[in-house]
Parts: sequence; C-alpha cells; structure tokens
Amino acid sequence: MPTITFEQPNGTATDVEVAEGGNIMRAAVTNGIAGIVGECGGQAMCATCHVYVNPEDAAGLPELSEDEDEMLDCTTAERTANSRLGCQVSLGGALQSIRVAVPSEQV
Amino acid sequence: MSTAPATCPFTGAQATPGTAPVPHASTESAVREAPVADWVKIEDLYRDPFPIYQRLRAEAPLHWVPAVNRYMVTSYAACHEIEQDEARFSANERNSLMKRSMGHSMLRKDNPEHQVDRDSYGATLRPGTIKKHWNGIFAQNNEKYLGQLLAKGPGSDFVWDYAAPYTAENLRLICGFHNATQQDMQRWSQTMIDGTGNYADDPEVWAKAEASSAEVDAAIDEMLPYLAKNPDHSLLSNLATMPIPLEAIRANLKMTIGGGLNEPRDVLATTVWALLENPEQLQAVRQDPALLPKAFEESVRWVAPIGMYPRETTQELVLEGISLPAGARLGVVLGAANRDPLVFEDPETFNIFREKKPHLAFGGGVHFCAGTWIARAQVAQVALPAVFEKLPNLRLDPATASIDAGWVFRGMTKMRVLWDA
Repeated sequence: MPTITFEQPNGTATDVEVAEGGNIMRAAVTNGIAGIVGECGGQAMCATCHVYVNPEDAAGLPELSEDEDEMLDCTTAERTANSRLGCQVSLGGALQSIRVAVPSEQV
Repeated sequence: MSTAPATCPFTGAQATPGTAPVPHASTESAVREAPVADWVKIEDLYRDPFPIYQRLRAEAPLHWVPAVNRYMVTSYAACHEIEQDEARFSANERNSLMKRSMGHSMLRKDNPEHQVDRDSYGATLRPGTIKKHWNGIFAQNNEKYLGQLLAKGPGSDFVWDYAAPYTAENLRLICGFHNATQQDMQRWSQTMIDGTGNYADDPEVWAKAEASSAEVDAAIDEMLPYLAKNPDHSLLSNLATMPIPLEAIRANLKMTIGGGLNEPRDVLATTVWALLENPEQLQAVRQDPALLPKAFEESVRWVAPIGMYPRETTQELVLEGISLPAGARLGVVLGAANRDPLVFEDPETFNIFREKKPHLAFGGGVHFCAGTWIARAQVAQVALPAVFEKLPNLRLDPATASIDAGWVFRGMTKMRVLWDA
C-alpha cells in the first residue's frame, strides 16, 4: 500500500499507509496526525491541511490547480515552493510514497 | 498504520498515561440512552443559551430536549464527529422547515447531489475572486454605509444603521440582484429565516416567507437572461450559463440570502461589541489593526452566528457513548461546541489572545460554509479596520443597554454607539 510519512515540527515522524487513491488530508485525519485539521472535508476551501512536500518527492505530484493555488495564499504558516494542500494530493499509481512536513501552525 | 501514541488532532497534546479513571463497566454496557432535558425552555435559550449549554455539556454530550423536539448535541467531539460523517448523519432532513421556506437547497442535500449544486457556485466565493474583484466593491460599500452612520451621528444603532445595510448591499452584488435593493435583501432574508424557524406553524410567518420566496423567484427569472448576455462575477451570472435546474437555482439563492446576510452582520456587530466591552483588547487592536482577523475568529467562536443546524441519523448508532435510533432528529449545537472546556481553556471568556484552535463556527466537512472567505474579507479585512479608524473613541451608549439575543441565530438586536464627532 502507498505510504505517507508525516514529519512534525519537533522532528518526530509517523508512517501511515493509505489505500490506492487516498489523499494526504484524509489519511492524516483518520490516523489522528497532529497539526492537520481538514475543516472543509477536502474541497480546497479552508487551507487547514497545509503540508510541505519533501522536494525529492515533488516529481510525482499532480499539478497545482487554480483553486489550490489561491487557497495556498491563505495558509497560516508561511507558503513555500513545497507547499501543498493535503486534500489535493492523492497517493497511488506512480506515487507510492511521500514524505511531508506538517507546519507549526494550521489555524 | 500509525504506531504513534494517541494525540489530540486539535491541540497536538498527548495525554499522560495512567491518568484516566478505571471504567466501572464494560464498553458495551456503558452505552446509554440520551438523558432528557425537560427543563430547557425556548425563551431561556433565546435570551442567553450559554448557561444552559454549560449545564447540558457537563451532564452528557447530547440530550433529548422536548421543547426543541430534537436531540441537542453540545460537546465539541460529538458535533465534530457528526459533521465529518455524512453517511451516518444526513443533511437531507425529513419535514424540514427550511425546505418549506426556501426550497430544497444544497444545505439540505447529501453527496453526490450536494456537490453538483455546490460546484455550480463556481469561483464567485473563492479567495482569488475576492481579492481581484470583491474587496474593492466591499470597500466602496463600506465607505457609503459607514458614511451614512457618520452622517446620522452619535447615538445611532451600529447594527441597523450600518452593519445590516452594508452586508446586505455586499450580498446583493455577490448574488447579482441588480433589480433589487439592499432593503429587499434584508426583508427577504429575515422573512424566509423566520419561516425556517417557524416551529409554532404561525400562518402569518408562512405568508410573509411565501411572499418573499415569490419575489425572489421573480427577481431571479428577470436577472438570468440579462446576466447571460451581460456577465459579471455574481452567482446568478455564473448560474445563467450552467445546465442546472431552475428549482435548484432558486432554492440555493434563497439559502444564500438567508445565510449570507445576517451572519456577517451579526459577527461584525458582535465583534465590535465584545471589543468595546473589553478595554484592554480594544486598546490592543487600536494599536495593531493586524489583530482584527484574530478578533473576528474569536468572535465567531465565542458567539457563533449560526448556533445550531439540523442533521438526521441514517441508521441506529452510538454517538459518544449514547445510543440513537435511525431517523433521530439532531440539532448540532455549534454555539455549545465552541465553548467546550475540553477543547478551549476558559471558554466563556472573549479573548483574542487565546491559543489558536479550530472552532466549528463555519461548520465542517462537505457543508463547510461556502461564504467563509467572503465573511472574513468584508468584516475582518474591510469593515473592522475602517470602523475603528473613522469612529474615534467609539463606545457603547451608556444611556441605552445593548441587547444580544437568539440561539439558532444569535447576534446584537440593539447596539447604540457614541463616538467623538
């Protein structure tokens, strides 16, 4: 199964397995990963599932949509080139593992 | 799967092992029936629901409340569980007064039907459109209606002489009702909301709601062909070009009129009222207007403008240790969840400096408020900074007591203010 590694600001890392097609936000919320809220349930409307994707994993990511792009401007923690919304990144296919850092602030 | 120790998804806190009391019964037999709260009265809720919520929450996460003819769910954890699980908790309530008053809008649909309606609103309410288009319009409207308040002078009512017309005019343009006035919007909104809350089945309330509903239908019928030829950034303009049934357009616009006017109006007035009642926090936002978005978020947590919304169980289930039958009518009491002491420290106090945690005032899951960013923009970005800049030494009028009221919808109903003219 595809695996997501969540790295907390204090350095601790947790591996979570997801089904094919599962997204980062849903995996985090289901497994009680601290620092991922997912208020809007995955509609790219709330910017509370912000993560920083490990640059080495960036190649397999889906392109930023306009909706995700504008919502990333509304994140509480600083937006960087590695910023994505967890709800817009699904695992599966060529993307079988990914490492993401959870920001220090989400709301 | 995760092997990390259990961590609160809201606070990031990890509990100290060994501090939990030893359960005296097995999990299965610990499931209980909902307690009955026959002491809860509608008129008490209307005046001040918060002491009632405190008592309810301390007793159980949910109760059967005969006066409301529903289970009232008051704990944060239970409200959060409901809004994240539409399979077990349906928005498509039977015998819905909202459906009767406004038609069957997206707010009372489950997916996949809900998503079709939601997507039909397009980019109108999204942050990109707000930044490029609406912020400038909100600023113009604010200048006009704050100007009218200034012209009327000290002693005016902050809600009725400013917050209401300002938010109504914003919503008129967001919807695309170029054939109506902000006063029409206020009348439509209030009368249809009154129908949604017409538990007493008062025929006069229904007559007014039906009259407004017919006026909105006529206004939509007139605007759709016009906006198809003269498109703008409004909701109706977007809908004019979409293959979506007229019945859905009508119901969704009515829901938006009901949900997009009173709420920003109420959060604007409640935020200012709370700041004026808390001089140290008032001083802080005057010195640093960048704190105003924090004041807005704390205000919607402290007094959620929509205090309760309905759900219905699709099956027999157990919620936070309490069994519920299939078809149970629930009231998800956000106003209570947002003051749950298990999540928020000193929850009854308005404190813009409190530790930031996710509140439930905008709802959650697939029905997360579509107007969240519009509300933040028109209230926190545009109105609040101008209010404290243009009304020097703004204060409550000591001669007339302000009134905050309501529980399903809560806000200021009277708020006379003075300033140094």
